[in-house]
Amino acid sequence: MKTSRRRFLKHTGAAAAGGALLFDIVPARALGLQGQPAPSDVLNLGHIGIGGRGRGFLRPEADLGKQVPAPPNLGGEGTRFLRPARSMALCDVDAQRLDMAATRVGGKPKLYRDFRRLLEDPDVDAVYIASPDHWHALHTILACQAGKDVYVEKPACNTIQEGRAMVAAAERYGRVVQVGSQGRSQPAAWQAANYIRAGRLGRVRKVACWHYASPAGDWTPDADPPPTLDYDLWVGPARWVPYNPRRTHGSFRWMIDFGGGQIRDRGAHVMSIANWIMDADHTGPVSVEAKGEPPHDGMYDSGVTMEVTYEFRNPEWTLIWAQPGTPSTELDARYGAVYWGETGNLTVTLGDGQGTATDLKAKDFAAHCDCGKAFKSPGHAENFEDCIRTREKPIMHMEAAHRVASLCVLGNISFQLQRKLEWDPVAERCKNDDEANRLLSRPGRGPWHL
Amino acid sequence: MLDDQKFLADLQDSNADVRFAAWRQAGQASPAVIPQLGKLAASSQPGSAKAAREALATMTHAVGKDPSAPIRAAVVKGLLDLSGDGYALPVRVHALRLLSGIAGPDAVPALVKWIQQPDLREEVVFCLERIPGPAAAKALLAAYRDAPDIFKPRLLAALGHLRVAEAVGLCTEAMRSANAEIAVAAVKAFGRIGAKPATPPALPDPKTLSAWQQIERLDGILRYAEARAKEGDAAEALRVYRQALERPEEHWQCAAVIGLARLGSAEAAAVLLTRLNSPNSTVRITARNAWKSMAASKA
Repeated sequence: MKTSRRRFLKHTGAAAAGGALLFDIVPARALGLQGQPAPSDVLNLGHIGIGGRGRGFLRPEADLGKQVPAPPNLGGEGTRFLRPARSMALCDVDAQRLDMAATRVGGKPKLYRDFRRLLEDPDVDAVYIASPDHWHALHTILACQAGKDVYVEKPACNTIQEGRAMVAAAERYGRVVQVGSQGRSQPAAWQAANYIRAGRLGRVRKVACWHYASPAGDWTPDADPPPTLDYDLWVGPARWVPYNPRRTHGSFRWMIDFGGGQIRDRGAHVMSIANWIMDADHTGPVSVEAKGEPPHDGMYDSGVTMEVTYEFRNPEWTLIWAQPGTPSTELDARYGAVYWGETGNLTVTLGDGQGTATDLKAKDFAAHCDCGKAFKSPGHAENFEDCIRTREKPIMHMEAAHRVASLCVLGNISFQLQRKLEWDPVAERCKNDDEANRLLSRPGRGPWHL
Repeated sequence: MLDDQKFLADLQDSNADVRFAAWRQAGQASPAVIPQLGKLAASSQPGSAKAAREALATMTHAVGKDPSAPIRAAVVKGLLDLSGDGYALPVRVHALRLLSGIAGPDAVPALVKWIQQPDLREEVVFCLERIPGPAAAKALLAAYRDAPDIFKPRLLAALGHLRVAEAVGLCTEAMRSANAEIAVAAVKAFGRIGAKPATPPALPDPKTLSAWQQIERLDGILRYAEARAKEGDAAEALRVYRQALERPEEHWQCAAVIGLARLGSAEAAAVLLTRLNSPNSTVRITARNAWKSMAASKA
């Protein structure tokens, strides 16, 4: 195997001992002269899952050496530039998507269908994972195992056990894991966090989220998978179902086993901001009760309408996820949350790639007071890439993401079982509910296990 | 109780809302209708088939909370019948997935009958993995001996997932398999179980493994150390972390320093100290952070 400079440094840890030797052999270009960033300053990125969302993380080869503005949909303020990075390895189970991404990146990225081959590559420093939701946990865990820092799309996981295993893997290997609930990195969420944490609403007793309903779907016949798609690898650890174009790319979200509906998709954005503002990143509710209806017909099974009530203790507050719910009367948006305090309320809308907005009073407060309490993220991707260097925990670290995903997962379990769950947020078990406890984990399939 | 005939008729109604109303009430239906629901679940009318599947799920969930619920045994029995030869494969699979939520140890002998059937064995193992207690674990152990090589890694994964201490001997034996897939699956299971074997295991030779299998092998060993530390066997954990620290790979060194800090003993601290000035910045920062957390936990 050819040994690259990066591989040599990473695997010998001998930069000091071998300094003289390296100094002798490194060309000027490698030291960052000739207008190029030094290779050691360039992040070598791998990408797992490069469909719609994953394409947004690609760093074209032609951009190296240029100032690349940070994507506006990942938070932060003003014009900022990303750290030099190259997308050196791409992976997707769909060859068509892989080809499209390779064209977009340019140069000669390494292309893989099997993500394990990408993770084996010691030249890859960090991975962006935008695979379907049911793969997030294993991709993250195995990336940590292979020594990669990870930016993984939300929702973090499909089961409670997956989330806990992701936390354990990140901690075991000391890896930086940022989960893509970027609302926390958006200025309006930061303004709202400071406003509420400063007690401007008094004690907040209720956070009411609203969102539009999930689609009901229809009947589309199962079919043979397209020749470009490795469907068995797409299903991966989930329970096997025959291929159907209406439950794979893009629409897997409406199946509980793969995506989990709006509550797990947008819930992982809106409730992420709620958990952050309410300082609930290391705990969970004591009860979860979901009501609503699944599709009466068609192939989907996630809730079309849902209202989930989460009760928290110490302090006492209630979180409500409602699709549809009662929209804010202050700000016009298709989803968001209203924070109800003793002396008033505050709206925080959206929380995903479409941005976040909050009431003027929170903006004014942030502008005119010393708001030093909440961490202000420079932007979700920049925060991740900063943490790769500093080894600090990013704003949406794995424990926080697991706790948010737990809300989504428990909401779905209560919805499926049609009963209230009594939840122990320390033991992460349901009280007196044998079946619910069994649903907290999902045994893997084939070779795919936590 | 519902009127069984009306209930079954409503599940086949042309109006989806009528079907929905029927399946939502299925918790009140008699388990005697389960065979008919099994047949209906294989209907060529997708709306009726869905309604029947959802009715079976609703019946299952209605008895799922309490293992001593009076009609739970009857529902389990009905679902076990659906998992048998007389039903279409998708119906059998559906029954096994529902059984994974409510079946108890009594159901294990009936379930294990299908574990050597290639088109069903994955679902049987899935179901057994969710059944609490030693009966399912014993069944998985017993199934290993007769399983074809291609399925042995799956059984090992299940034993590891369930942390079946009795499987440690089987794991150490399987680590010596000439089949690398089996050998690595055995290391993974061994690490997840985390019990110390009577004699040190002969781990598969890394030279016989692919790059990915080497990663999995080491992860298994690290998990073993973590489990030993949790059990209070600090000496064994320390031995593993010392070895990991000598590896050139940055993340294994990081894992070792994190593990050492968790041990928190004077001996572990002395080893950790050697990495506080590592030339690799990631290892160095991780070691310093680990040192700080260890110190904080002692304070």
